[in-house]
Amino acid sequence: MPGPACVADDADLFDVAEAIAAEWAALGVRGSFLARHIDTGEQLGFDVEESVPLASVAKVPLALVALDRIATGELDAARPVLVDPATSSVGPTGLAAFRHPATVAVGDLLLLMLSVSDNAAADTLFGLVPAEQVDTRLRAWGCTGIRLRHRLNRMYECAAGAAGNDFSLALELAIRDDHSGRHTIEMLDPAHANVGTATGLVDLLQRVWRDDIAHPDATAELRRVMGHQVFTHRLASELRADTLRVSGKTGTFLHLRHEIGVVESEVGDRVAMAALTRSDRRANLAPDIDLVIGTSARLAFEALRR
Amino acid sequence: MPFWYDSRMDLLAHLEAYVAAVDEASFSRAAERLGIAQPLLSRRIKTLETHFEGQLFDRSRRQVATTELGVLLLPYARDVLDRAQRLRHVARSARRSAACGVGVPADCGPAALARVIRAGVEHGTALGMRELPPAEREAGLADSSLAYALVRVPPEHAPLRVPLGLASAPSETPDGARPASPEDRPRTRRRTVHLEDLRPRRVGGAGHRRTAAVPILTTVEDHVGYAQDRLRRAVARAGLPEATVRSAGPMATALAETLAGQATLLCAEPFARQHGARWAALGDTSLHRGYDLRAAHRGRGPAKVPQWLCALLATAVGAAPDEPTAAVARAVGEDGRSRLAAHG
Repeated sequence: MPGPACVADDADLFDVAEAIAAEWAALGVRGSFLARHIDTGEQLGFDVEESVPLASVAKVPLALVALDRIATGELDAARPVLVDPATSSVGPTGLAAFRHPATVAVGDLLLLMLSVSDNAAADTLFGLVPAEQVDTRLRAWGCTGIRLRHRLNRMYECAAGAAGNDFSLALELAIRDDHSGRHTIEMLDPAHANVGTATGLVDLLQRVWRDDIAHPDATAELRRVMGHQVFTHRLASELRADTLRVSGKTGTFLHLRHEIGVVESEVGDRVAMAALTRSDRRANLAPDIDLVIGTSARLAFEALRR
Repeated sequence: MPFWYDSRMDLLAHLEAYVAAVDEASFSRAAERLGIAQPLLSRRIKTLETHFEGQLFDRSRRQVATTELGVLLLPYARDVLDRAQRLRHVARSARRSAACGVGVPADCGPAALARVIRAGVEHGTALGMRELPPAEREAGLADSSLAYALVRVPPEHAPLRVPLGLASAPSETPDGARPASPEDRPRTRRRTVHLEDLRPRRVGGAGHRRTAAVPILTTVEDHVGYAQDRLRRAVARAGLPEATVRSAGPMATALAETLAGQATLLCAEPFARQHGARWAALGDTSLHRGYDLRAAHRGRGPAKVPQWLCALLATAVGAAPDEPTAAVARAVGEDGRSRLAAHG
């Protein structure tokens, strides 16, 4: 099997990209990686143009479009919305794990969606800003490489439809289909899923951090809320210091383990990253894969910072 | 049809009648010697004369006389009967001396196998122990090159269950005992090894270095489809990298690596003890070995397996005497539905 196609702006960065690719391969991890210094534009990575199902990473572009509507006055952040467990989306965290109806303001749905990856909050927002409108907006902004097509719960529905609530079977199907290219679980098919490329996602983060997209109030709020993510087991795992800040969004579904985010240092370096992985691991948890995303992020940040 | 052969005729019985009649010079004495009725003997001789198209006896006188043809054929008839007799002897002695092949796993203790062989002698059956990989044991039963074999079956349905565990380097003290604790507390807890406990530790402080997980070596006895699948999944679910499990290759090398503390070997307890390794059973009993002692097909159905053989082979293979506790893998505090959803 040929190795991944590395991209880098100079020989040293190329070596780092190759080292990261080798670490992924050693763990049986496939996928794309891209890290780019937001201000110098220098970057390193591999297989950066592959379209990958985003899972919960799709909540970032959704948040940007919703926040833009709020900033332009089309949507009220204080507007209360009733979320009823009887009809809301499946998920392990936030409102998706609630057992009783709750009324939450639109602005706080955004916080829940990005801080704890709340599927019910995300799909309630999709109720206010449908996927087609998010997709249209992204294209109007020139965000090539990202496509939004469906609510989050579609992933659960397709997986449960194919495997009948049997996680092991769904995982087995996902792994098998990943090799054959014929997808039993529709939401793993890049032709039907919410998808993005590493380049497309890093472009988006770079523009958000440079106020180069949407309304500046929207980008500022997105940066603030992404800084509240509670998960630190992936991108942030090797970058936990008071002098560093990681703002990220994970995405996990069956054999997919992703995270995109921005690492900022006290002295002003800002590096946007996307790590999009797939593996044949027949397990729900794969701590070594989570960790290799963290070690890759650290290697890339230290190589790219000035 | 060749003149000398008629499939409806038992040539040997007919020749016997002819030779006996010549020897005894009397049909009645010949019939007596062969233990058959005289009319039957006469009929056989008559049939033989029809086939040879000539009289063997001259019945015109009071005393039975052998004709010229009867004298001429006599040595040839005796020769055929001698050869048939030898054929029966060879077949019988071959049946007595041939050992019954018994397919056993490669890691049985020699002393235990010796007990099986001795018991075979006592029961009048010569047993030959054949160390073979699982697939070849099954193939041996199918083509009857083995009379009996221990066949691998999933442990939960198995009549014989062999606890599998990990062999590791022995402790430093020469007799394998751990140094006594200062307070002299007894060490009575039986250790079980759980795969998730094998995850490399994240060491804090000055020694900030993550060691890789110690490899688990597997022998050919565990290269059975379902067993490999189960182990692979269990290793993944325990949070261990896939590369943790690898094939042991030559046994001497695998044992050396194990005793040197660079690997652990998946094996049964007697095998580990025999080589001076430490051993702890795997907590997940669905990963243990299961065996069924089966016999090769004879005629219509499988032959019966003698009970004494089953008991001795159970010991040789290291089967646990007690009833197993049902191993029901419980997912730890999972919410099945939400695991199928996208999450953080």
